[in-house]
Amino acid sequence: MTLATKKLSLTINDRVIDRIDVPYTMMMQDFLYEYLNLTGSRMGCGQGICNACTVIVEKDDGSLEEVQTCTIGAHWFEGKRVRTVEGHGSHDASGAITKLSPLQQAFIEHFSFQCGYCTPGFVTGATVFMDQLKRKPIARAELEQAIIDALDKHICRCTGYVRYHEAVRDLVLKTPGLLNG
Amino acid sequence: MHKLIWGVAIVAGCCALIAGAIFAGLFEKSVVAKGIEQPLSPDRMKALAAKGAYVAVTADCYACHTAKGGAAWAGGLPIATPFGTVYSTNISPDKENGIGNWTRADFHRALRDGVGKGGSHLYPAMPYASYRKMTPDDVDAVYAYLMSREPMRIANRKNALTFPFNIRQSLTFWNLLSLPGEEKAADNAKSAIWIRGQYLVDALGHCGECHTPRNLMQGMQHNKYLKGALLEGIIAPDITKEGLVRMGFDAPLLAGFMKSGISAQGAMAYQMFDVVHFSTQYMTDEDLSALSAYLFDLDAAHDTSVPPPAPKPVELAPALAASAHTTYRNLCSACHGAEGQGIPHVVVPLSTNVSLRLNDARNLVHTVLHGVPAQKFPGLERMEPMPSFKDKLTDQEVADLANWMRAVWGGREPTFKPEGVASIRQGK
Ligand code: FES
Ligand code: FES
Repeated sequence: MTLATKKLSLTINDRVIDRIDVPYTMMMQDFLYEYLNLTGSRMGCGQGICNACTVIVEKDDGSLEEVQTCTIGAHWFEGKRVRTVEGHGSHDASGAITKLSPLQQAFIEHFSFQCGYCTPGFVTGATVFMDQLKRKPIARAELEQAIIDALDKHICRCTGYVRYHEAVRDLVLKTPGLLNG
Repeated sequence: MHKLIWGVAIVAGCCALIAGAIFAGLFEKSVVAKGIEQPLSPDRMKALAAKGAYVAVTADCYACHTAKGGAAWAGGLPIATPFGTVYSTNISPDKENGIGNWTRADFHRALRDGVGKGGSHLYPAMPYASYRKMTPDDVDAVYAYLMSREPMRIANRKNALTFPFNIRQSLTFWNLLSLPGEEKAADNAKSAIWIRGQYLVDALGHCGECHTPRNLMQGMQHNKYLKGALLEGIIAPDITKEGLVRMGFDAPLLAGFMKSGISAQGAMAYQMFDVVHFSTQYMTDEDLSALSAYLFDLDAAHDTSVPPPAPKPVELAPALAASAHTTYRNLCSACHGAEGQGIPHVVVPLSTNVSLRLNDARNLVHTVLHGVPAQKFPGLERMEPMPSFKDKLTDQEVADLANWMRAVWGGREPTFKPEGVASIRQGK
């Protein structure tokens, strides 16, 4: 059986993918795994609930949006700029990671995860949260609730969330310009 | 000229007198018989309480008289009306805040006449226009049951209604214009099942309160009984036989839907989710068959199902079909399936879904824009949450998607406009 395909172009982690044939019905998660060997984002529930599978879409105005890949078709990403968990750190010319993003580093230092299955989703969600704070700083007193609200939709079976929240709080406090007052 | 002024004055005077008489309640007719003044003996109350538990379930009293997360029967649930918010009241047997001091007759008058203890009028958010048709025996049973509950010392919340609707006595006008007239004698040509079904639908279940359009006075339009109405932005569909067939039901399917909340036609959502949750799932199979038989105008319960044929697809312009189909594949198909087949026990199918077949696309568009939370259904059934797509789709894309789905699976013309999406997006 051959699946009907359609051309897809998009940019992933600064790499331009130009007009490749992708089945109409393929979900983004499968596309990342099977076509690009980007296996960092996790298939958890496959039903849009756990958010282990999310990636970042970089919008035209530079702001970031978190999007699930398990339930959203690859062709929805046509023409968009996408950042997967592989794209957060710095890379050398060969593509090897030379440095993690400050958030990834904070998760490691705080022992935020155990099995790590949910981590790519938390990296994505917390990065989008930090980007939102950069655009619209909040008061210190609002921070705890804002972290809960932002990460609430991410499910983790292992850690009880506290260490994820601590890492994000710590990094927000250390990063200038995210809080006002 | 002089005569004319006198004439006008006399007519105005008469009108004022009549209005005054209506306001004073002189035109109000109680359906409560005099014998009800006699209290029920403690033994009788005890015996009736068990029966009353079931009657209260079929009348769905709990859903409104218990706030979300609040104490049982203590009221406090906000009910939005076009004139402001009404809060349901404490009907636990607490003497101070509830109905602990109410006599049997007080309770009958409240349920059937809409007049509470001491003569103050109830707001018709309490469906006394329907409960009016309850039998005195059933009202007694509910009274006995409620009096056997635990008293809750929780004060009633003050309603937030605009003038003149905050004057309870003005409901005498509403009652005069809106309450049904004399009950017709039972139709002997009808079977016992049909008659029981009618009682369940018209009186206890008070289905007409949501499924019948209302006039300017917010009274039910009796000539459009059960023909469907708009309720807090959602269509409570036409549940006459014609409407039910159009939605893809037959009598056994409908009875099963009322029991489980899930069917090929969709999963109960919005206010009907609560109805299944608190009421119909606990109704006996006989009662659900009767309810269904009455709505389908059948004299007997049927248990073999012959669903009506699927609607014929409507042809669409190829460009619209292609772009809407792409949207469907990208955003809907992972859960609802490439062919709209859904996932059993997880996601409803769309190819047989009611909201694609209704006259109006509103419910479908509302769901696409605002989503539906995850829901627990009777037994172990669960439905996953439907996400909101309001940030992912433009008004045009939503209109195209809704038109495409309804044309392909619902046999409906693609008439929904982006302006319609915009107004539902704003919560209108
Ligand atoms: S795998 Fe995508 S939300 Fe769970
Ligand atoms: S660390 Fe194991 S699921 Fe989150």
